[in-house]
Amino acid sequence: MIKTSRRSLLATALAAPAILSWPARAQARTIKIALLTPLSGPLARSGELERTGATLAVEDVNAAGGIKAMGGAKLELTVADAGASVEQVTAAAQRLVADQDLVAGMGAWASSFTLAATEVSERAKLPWVTLSWADSITNRGFRYLIATSPPSSQILLAALQPLLALAGKSAGRMPSTIAMINDDTAVNQSNMVPLRNGGLEKLNLKSVMDENFTPPLSDATPLIQRLRRAKPDLVLLGTTATSDSRLLLQTLTEFGMGQGKVPVLAPSANWGTPEILKNLGANNLEGVIGVAGNWGSKQQKPLIDNLCHRSGEPWLVQDTLSNYGHVLLIADALERAGSADRDKLMEALLATDTKEGPAKLFLGGHLSFEKNGRRANPVAGVFQWKNGVPQTVLPEADAFAELTWPRPA
Amino acid sequence: MSFADHLESLLQILSAGLLLGCLYGLMCAGLGLIFGIMRVINFAQGEFMMLAMYAGLNGVAFLAPGRAWAFPVAMAVALAVALLFYGIGAATHFLLVSRVSGSRVVGSEDGGHTGQLILTLGLSLVLQNGGLMLFGSSPTSIGNAAADNSWTVGPLWGEDVMIFVNQARAWSAILALVAVGLTILMMNRTGVGRRLRAVASNPVAAVYMGVDVERAFRTAFGIGLALTAIAGVCVATFYPFQPYTGFDFVIIMYAGVVLGGMGSVGGAFLGGLVIGLVQQLSTLVLAPQLQNTAVFVVFLAVLLVRPQGLFGRGVERA
Amino acid sequence: MQFLAPPRRQLLILAILTVCGIAGVTVLSAYQLLIFSLVGVWAVLGLSWNILGGYGGLISFGHAAFFGGGAYTVAILFHDYGVSPWIGCVLGGLVGSALAVLVGAVTFRLKGHYFSLAMLAYPLALIPVFTWAGWTEVSFPLQRTSPLAYMQFADPHIMPLIVLALLALSILACLRIERTRLGLKLYAIRQNELAAQCAGIATLRTKLVASAISGGMAGLAGALYGVILLVVTPSSVFGMLVSAQALIVSMFGGLGTVWGPLIGAAVLVPLAEALNTSLGARLPGIQGVVFGLAIMAVILWRPQGIFWAVRDHFAGRAAAPQALPDDAAPIAAAPAGTPAAEGGALLQVNGITMHFGGLHALTDVTLEVRRGEILGIIGPNGAGKTTLFNVLNGIIRPTAGSARLEGAEMIGNRPQQVSALGVARTFQTVRAFPRLTLIENVVVGAFGAHAGDREALAAARAVVARVGLSDRGLTRASQLTNRELRLMELARALAANPKLILMDECFAGLSSADVEAMSAQIRRLAAEGMTIAIIEHTMQAMVRLADRFVVLDRGRVLATGLPQQVVRDPEVVSAYLGKRWLDHAGA
Repeated sequence: MIKTSRRSLLATALAAPAILSWPARAQARTIKIALLTPLSGPLARSGELERTGATLAVEDVNAAGGIKAMGGAKLELTVADAGASVEQVTAAAQRLVADQDLVAGMGAWASSFTLAATEVSERAKLPWVTLSWADSITNRGFRYLIATSPPSSQILLAALQPLLALAGKSAGRMPSTIAMINDDTAVNQSNMVPLRNGGLEKLNLKSVMDENFTPPLSDATPLIQRLRRAKPDLVLLGTTATSDSRLLLQTLTEFGMGQGKVPVLAPSANWGTPEILKNLGANNLEGVIGVAGNWGSKQQKPLIDNLCHRSGEPWLVQDTLSNYGHVLLIADALERAGSADRDKLMEALLATDTKEGPAKLFLGGHLSFEKNGRRANPVAGVFQWKNGVPQTVLPEADAFAELTWPRPA
Repeated sequence: MSFADHLESLLQILSAGLLLGCLYGLMCAGLGLIFGIMRVINFAQGEFMMLAMYAGLNGVAFLAPGRAWAFPVAMAVALAVALLFYGIGAATHFLLVSRVSGSRVVGSEDGGHTGQLILTLGLSLVLQNGGLMLFGSSPTSIGNAAADNSWTVGPLWGEDVMIFVNQARAWSAILALVAVGLTILMMNRTGVGRRLRAVASNPVAAVYMGVDVERAFRTAFGIGLALTAIAGVCVATFYPFQPYTGFDFVIIMYAGVVLGGMGSVGGAFLGGLVIGLVQQLSTLVLAPQLQNTAVFVVFLAVLLVRPQGLFGRGVERA
Repeated sequence: MQFLAPPRRQLLILAILTVCGIAGVTVLSAYQLLIFSLVGVWAVLGLSWNILGGYGGLISFGHAAFFGGGAYTVAILFHDYGVSPWIGCVLGGLVGSALAVLVGAVTFRLKGHYFSLAMLAYPLALIPVFTWAGWTEVSFPLQRTSPLAYMQFADPHIMPLIVLALLALSILACLRIERTRLGLKLYAIRQNELAAQCAGIATLRTKLVASAISGGMAGLAGALYGVILLVVTPSSVFGMLVSAQALIVSMFGGLGTVWGPLIGAAVLVPLAEALNTSLGARLPGIQGVVFGLAIMAVILWRPQGIFWAVRDHFAGRAAAPQALPDDAAPIAAAPAGTPAAEGGALLQVNGITMHFGGLHALTDVTLEVRRGEILGIIGPNGAGKTTLFNVLNGIIRPTAGSARLEGAEMIGNRPQQVSALGVARTFQTVRAFPRLTLIENVVVGAFGAHAGDREALAAARAVVARVGLSDRGLTRASQLTNRELRLMELARALAANPKLILMDECFAGLSSADVEAMSAQIRRLAAEGMTIAIIEHTMQAMVRLADRFVVLDRGRVLATGLPQQVVRDPEVVSAYLGKRWLDHAGA
């Protein structure tokens, strides 16, 4: 029974327009879910991308008949602005949890914001779904938290291992040195933890440079100059802000190390946004490899095309995709819980174990959760810039293109 | 690291610091005119620069010169934007700032600073958020070929000691030098400049000498914004910006103006240059994260040891 | 007048507000309680800022340094060492206080805009340090067992009550500061720092004491802010917006009054939140635009802030009393003047030389001031008279020379130390504290000689009576006539129980009738045993007033002697009237 409903949900998600006419039951009521994300302030662009995903998903779920186990109840999305400060996030979260009708929350993009928002939601026992990666989010022993992205401690290894394997095959020579430049946001710093604690040795890589900077950079020259003298085989650029990404790659190119001369690995979704293409141009980005908690899967091409068309974005990034998935995940759990009770919903969320429905929106195709709310066996999305598009290259099952060892043009 | 490594790093970072410093200097010269002459703290200066960046972006987009010609066109647009911001500055002073400064607050207990601070902080909020509504949140920049290319100097020593000079940054630094040079000439050689200096050194005496102080303030505010606007368009050619970018620069501007010494355009420019150099050169000895700590520590140290600023004369600092 | 006035009305208001606050806490929702707590935290930060910025005129752009210091203390202690925030908050307050004293000790040498902008640098320099140290995001671990021991309350009403208690305590502290010595000293420093110094106030120490209190309050506010939000990041506690918030709530509400920051926080914090809620999600950015426009509009309408605008509106109607109530004014017993051994030297000035670059303002000036005399130091404009006083007073340090008051060296002391030695000073242009009442102006001078506030007030009343200004005691200095201002300054000098009064051109700007009155006053003082040195460049009044003349010209002592002799000295005449006059007279 449940299975059928999940299947039908997926079907509607894939072909939403065809089922628009599905009649809603008369007694249907609305179920409120919330998205808390920065819509003003310097992070507003990311919030906009998150909101797009959630909004489209709610449209699709409702168009497909709402939550059938609850008499076709429609989802209603409340969006709150997380602004630019932890204070605004906390106030907004407190305001959200005060609404007794709210059954679940999502957000709040930056890991510091998510930390603050979930401190509130946990105390209010409101299920909260987030795409934030930082390990600290799931290390607090919270019970009302779901994190769908791979944690920081896994994200880099997910890309490095296959990349090195590939290098052995196609470049003929294994890269032996790596230079790492990271901004000092919590997420990029926790990305580095496993590498710094023996991970590099296991990969037979030697660190020739490991520097952190505080965003925003005014000029990347000092960092890239150091990198030039270090002559690494592989470069890792962990940034959060588009302006830093641009300055670093720009200067790398100027210094004659760009456009594939030294492979660049960038563990952040901002490296796959349309605006970075606009700021850097396809030439400079060609070959750059990005890693994110989630990316578009080839298996879902029709859905992705549909969403791109409706959102006006040229392609979907993690922020949009995962939030679309989060809404489906909550809808799926609601179907199983059959109730808008927060505790029952949370139980259902944690009990999620599916390869259908929401699982299609996350790479790896199988969605289940550990006790701390972190996704079990999460799969990171690796994308590579090819001809001006950040195409998914790993995992292979979801790839639009093949991962290639960057070569100078 | 070998000697060649050290040499190259030093030269490379020095050149980067100089190029960046020239633009900081131009921003500081603009702010110095306002702060040095009117003694008004304008917290919205960074936001005006952000508006100038968008004005430059839209100007270049309107002319659509293509990537190769975008840079020279942007430089021409910068001058047009400067004119526009002269007008905006004069209007802002007339409509807002003059109400909480100059003759309106003579004799008030705090010299009107309370009003100026809150007014310009409010203005900066309005401009930042208005910018978000108007221009959206995506970081953007003026796409051009010069920003993608650099001149290679060298090899200077051995085989691989080379310096890379970004073309957009280099031309921007030259434009900044020209703009500051012309402003200094104007301050020293023209009637307007003399009036401005008179007002700066003693507004009351200037009134007795028949100078229209309010008008001089308006002019100073206009020129100050115009210079900052030129800097903004230059930065926009190689730095992605969004509506909240201005705030990152305004602190640097104040540090530069105070460091250089108030009341002289040249001093403010040099102050900005020093900030740029300290910011970049500090990375030779400190973690790059501590760049701005280095800037502020140097700023504090200079201020405490030499309160009149590096290049200021012994001015009364009370 | 506010000094030592019992704050009955203010305490009543505070009590009413506290009761309203407690009542409010019981009815508000959890979300509203959070906003309530934030109003409290920002109000405390505003009050803390107001102690320096409002009372002392020390506009700080860097209060985030102390706020963040408090927040990070409690967060790091709890997160890394498991120390309960109960202890952490107290330590946070101490850290804030210590930081403020440290920063102040370094930065108070700067004045005006320079002080403000230098303060800006401290928190901004700290942000990268904290991120560099790896404290980018510190969260407060959730305590499921014994949450009370870690300030984690299931009941949302407790936190707002704690904030309310801190707020009430802060208001009480500020009310006390406003009405006692510290507040009056700060007001005096704000309005005229040099005069405050010369009246015997150790300005640096006063500022540091104020910093310690202010920093402590800011640290406590920051610590509670951390406890409320449960996550501390460098930019959320050290950021520019925190310093700006302190400044905005205080200035918006009204500087220099305890109610200003409270009004500011109570209006602006909920306003910003309401705008976020109602408009923020629908049209991002509009909330900032409306908020910005709102504060701009208020400041264009009333630049001095809401409190003062409202108060001036109502205060304009009731006429304030002018005279001191005479109940407590003990009749001025002139200090049992040490009827000095007439003629002995009280002050011995030896070889004072003062060069400013190439300008020789004073060259080898040697003179003595004898006990009980009125010494007239005369000379044409530019002779170096005021420079001499500034040297004696400790405002500037001479290139060479010494000045001994009863054998004790004065040179090298700061003005407040000179004042403590027993030398008081009046100025060429009266340096009053314009917003203070006459009696408060005088009390400032009495602090050095009287340890207790009440004694200082009594002494001030006595000297005000002595110079005959009791009926104007409660008038603000800004409303006094020129003669009254001169007498007030004299009273302020007398209040310090000085051995010697230096008076700089005390007749400037007075009508001839006023000059007579002033002269009579000075003679009376001398008769009571006071030693007085007067600078004057017109000789008329002085010839009749002074016992002895010292004539200065171009930085040198030209002549010394009895007035009648000196005015006939050809060199003096030449210096005053020019050589040609002398030649003419001689011919």
